[in-house]
Amino acid sequence: MSGRITRGMSPTEILGMLRESEGYYLCNNERDVSQSDFKNRLMPMTTVRVAPHREAAGFFSVEVSGGASVHVDLMRKQVNPFERLRIAHKAMPRTLLQTVCRGSSLFGYRHYPENVIRLAVREFARYVDVWRVYDFLNHVPNLAPVFEEVQKAQRLLMPSVCFSTGPEHTDRYYVDKVKEILDVTGPEVIISIKNYAGLGTPKRISQLVESICAAFPGLVLHYHGCNTDGNDIGRMSAAVLAGVKICDVADHGYGAIYGQAPALTLIQALDDYGKKAVGVDIPSLIKCSDLLRQERKIYEPFESPFRGHDPTVAAYKLTGGAVGSAFEQADKGGFLDRMPEILTEMARVQAELGNWWSVTPGSQILWTTAVNNVLYGRYERPSLDLKNLLLGRYGRLPFQRPEAWIWEKVLEYQRYDGKKWPQILAEEGGIQKSPDADLELERRRLEGELDRPATDEELALYLQFPFDALSFFKFQDRYGKVWLLPPEVWFRRGGFKDGQRITFADEYGVPHFIEVISTRREGAHVLTTLLVDHSYQTFSVQVEGAGKAAVAG
Amino acid sequence: MVDKHVFGKILVANRGEIAVRVMRSAQELGIKAVAIYEETDKDAFHIMRADEAVCIGPGPRKDYLNIDKIIAAAQQTGAQAIHPGYGFLAENPDFPEACTNAGLVFIGPPPEVIRDLGSKVIARTIVQATGLRVIPATQVLPQGAEGEAAALAFVAEHDYPVMIKAVSGGGGRGIRQINDESSLLNGLKRSRAEALMSFGDDSIYLEKCMLRPRHVEVQILADSYGNVMHLGTRNCSIQRRHQKLIEIAPSGLDPALSREICEAAVRAARAANYLSAGTVEFLVDHQGRYYFLEVNTRLQVEHTVTEVLTGIDIVREQLLIAMGAPISFSQEQVHERGFAIELRINAEDPKNDFLASPGVVEVYRSSAGPGVRLDGAIYQGYKIPPFYDSLIVKLTVYGFTWREAVDRMARALNGFLIIGVKSTIPYFQQIVKEPDFIRMKLDTGYIDDHPQLLDYREQEREVDKLARLIAEINAHERNPHTQ
Repeated sequence: MSGRITRGMSPTEILGMLRESEGYYLCNNERDVSQSDFKNRLMPMTTVRVAPHREAAGFFSVEVSGGASVHVDLMRKQVNPFERLRIAHKAMPRTLLQTVCRGSSLFGYRHYPENVIRLAVREFARYVDVWRVYDFLNHVPNLAPVFEEVQKAQRLLMPSVCFSTGPEHTDRYYVDKVKEILDVTGPEVIISIKNYAGLGTPKRISQLVESICAAFPGLVLHYHGCNTDGNDIGRMSAAVLAGVKICDVADHGYGAIYGQAPALTLIQALDDYGKKAVGVDIPSLIKCSDLLRQERKIYEPFESPFRGHDPTVAAYKLTGGAVGSAFEQADKGGFLDRMPEILTEMARVQAELGNWWSVTPGSQILWTTAVNNVLYGRYERPSLDLKNLLLGRYGRLPFQRPEAWIWEKVLEYQRYDGKKWPQILAEEGGIQKSPDADLELERRRLEGELDRPATDEELALYLQFPFDALSFFKFQDRYGKVWLLPPEVWFRRGGFKDGQRITFADEYGVPHFIEVISTRREGAHVLTTLLVDHSYQTFSVQVEGAGKAAVAG
Repeated sequence: MVDKHVFGKILVANRGEIAVRVMRSAQELGIKAVAIYEETDKDAFHIMRADEAVCIGPGPRKDYLNIDKIIAAAQQTGAQAIHPGYGFLAENPDFPEACTNAGLVFIGPPPEVIRDLGSKVIARTIVQATGLRVIPATQVLPQGAEGEAAALAFVAEHDYPVMIKAVSGGGGRGIRQINDESSLLNGLKRSRAEALMSFGDDSIYLEKCMLRPRHVEVQILADSYGNVMHLGTRNCSIQRRHQKLIEIAPSGLDPALSREICEAAVRAARAANYLSAGTVEFLVDHQGRYYFLEVNTRLQVEHTVTEVLTGIDIVREQLLIAMGAPISFSQEQVHERGFAIELRINAEDPKNDFLASPGVVEVYRSSAGPGVRLDGAIYQGYKIPPFYDSLIVKLTVYGFTWREAVDRMARALNGFLIIGVKSTIPYFQQIVKEPDFIRMKLDTGYIDDHPQLLDYREQEREVDKLARLIAEINAHERNPHTQ
């Protein structure tokens, strides 16, 4: 379809097409959908299954990487985040792949040394075409190394401005912030409005977009929102009508969630205004959802139990990706009954600490503070991250400073040297830039652990998540590419029946089958005989003790 | 006058792949084959391939070395002849003697030939008489101080390094390289003790050590009519601790030199009154000078490369010669065409000093395809016993060019699937892609010069790794790796 943007076009070509377009484009944010409502468990094979329809649907991009997904890939899905990108690349050769990167925190939760940031971005940029990059304090210096590396790699840079509501969050502030970014990046970028919690009314979003467009004619804008309150269609429609060229959406097969709003609903809403989704093939869009409705059953155990839209998010402002997990954590921690209190406290803490943006890692800081305040008394147990925030380790607080008693509670907590908070702040405050890591030493350390050479990709993961990346590499050495298995096998509950046959193709398309022949128990061991590609093999698994499975066979 | 026999049945006094190999040629000639086995070897593959089988004792190993029991088994089954294979009793002159005394034909050289050529000192004397150059060496060293003095006098004349060798040694055992005087005197004592333990004979001698020679050998066939022929050369330079790892035919020497060595080998065999199949071994230095090393009075493990290259069935010829027939072809009919490579896939862990890896072969899928010959000793489900050699299969490939043979070997190695025991396949996979090997730049220092060959990761099929995971999911009734 005409106007479609495809891989292989340069950032300049893409920006040119976007500027000239009368319509708008859609980004399928599978990554945020997975993170918001399925505990990040959507497996690459689901992406592969829906890929032909997504490719035909004509999205501007598909976000399959970034945010918490990189860590969860390693930790809970045993999938190499680079492999995930390669799979998506192969399955959707024409579609741009998108990521979201937390600036100096990359895909993790703390600021990394600059050479680690540059290495990781270089490695990911081999596969990622579009880079959404944000900082939870909108502190632009935290973004600069990522900007540089993305542009060096000639990928499309999408610096994000985190958006929230309140008296401080004026159009003037955001226009100035955009200018600050453009001063660093130059004009050949897309600016993304990161409405992480789906805040503000459609009217508010419309005003914001109009203000930015007026200040920067020709600037291409992207809108990323969440549908926690159920009104992101309204906000997206307003944004597009005001000048936004790309919106993040979901498949309606994944509908009624706290992630993105459905693509087709937006298309239908804007159609009345004469706004067309460029390059989008609606029958293919529908096929995606038809397939995903079936696929969704596999992930049912991971769906948030707290369903239904929540307009009160306007007060507690938690990012869509964190709402479900917050309720889950409360459930596991035995304080679910206190959630209304905690959410009220969140709104209060948010205001007290300066009304900045409740998105990773800020959302975790606010959440922990609110929970601790409710459970243990207000600021009686401040976290180390809150202390670091007030010390300015993540950057300067953008608006008002907290009241003195909060500084005192937080900075003097567990201090035994008698120092008062103003002295602590004076002596220890400010961003402490980490010195560059000794990459060769780290590589040697990793190779020593693995007993084999490590790739640059592996090093880039290890430097961000030393423990979990190492565990994953060892897992992969032993179990291989588990994403090849059907997700229904990976998440299987209750074992397999004799005669059950599992079929799958490997990454080269060669079909394989594994048939369960028999299962028998001998003491603490379960002996499973399998027919593996026509050869019988028996595996003995020790099942005594949680997490102590030892396999011989 | 040549004694003529017609064999209806022979006994194969061996086990494993060589027993199967001999049986195949016998059966092709319409001769029934009797297998022997020890209790500890009752599941061995060769038993299944035989026409009859006799358990000769509880084992392990000792019964395969028991001449009386083997003769009795032959008599009990009505076998007219015995083929010794290689190893065990193949080079024990008492065995053919016992066969003859029992009225059985020994398929191999007569006992006196084995005895003469088995003694390295006598063998050197015989071949020197034919004009062959031998590596400078002492006579058998006397015991005690007199022997030490003789050894010191030898190194004074020829300098270090030298080799201490057991007179009755073979197959790389009983050999020690000596680089200085302090290790010489100590080495003499240790070698004597080892020789006594291994061969029942503590006789040793000293030989000048050649640095990085090529190990070249000539396959010989001799019949009772005075015909002695060679079947060309083999290069067995790739050795680990004096044990051959890979054998190649032809040797890759200059054709004129190769011809000269083959003719020398024929002269040596003739001088020794040789009969049946045998191998004359040489060391060739970098100037193309060749030195007699020893004669192996038996079928060699690596005979398959010669068979593949020449199209001649050496075992069939052995059988025919033993029946009193002349060799079936003339020297002029022997042609070497192309290249053949043979290697031994053993149940060993190369990374663990090639330690044997006995156990159950859970999955065995062999390689196949053009130019691939397999002489196997196992089957899927076979439990490799710890008592015998750890050979899984002997792989021989043929290629019209050296490069084709190397490529074919690489492809053939990739075609195996062996699960349950570790094997030497990953190590060989390293060798066949190593540049010096590909350039056929081979000498006896090859393995020591290429320690990186051990820097490999064992490849496991993705499907097998996933099968392991499925077994875990099944056992735990959930995936323990998803948390």
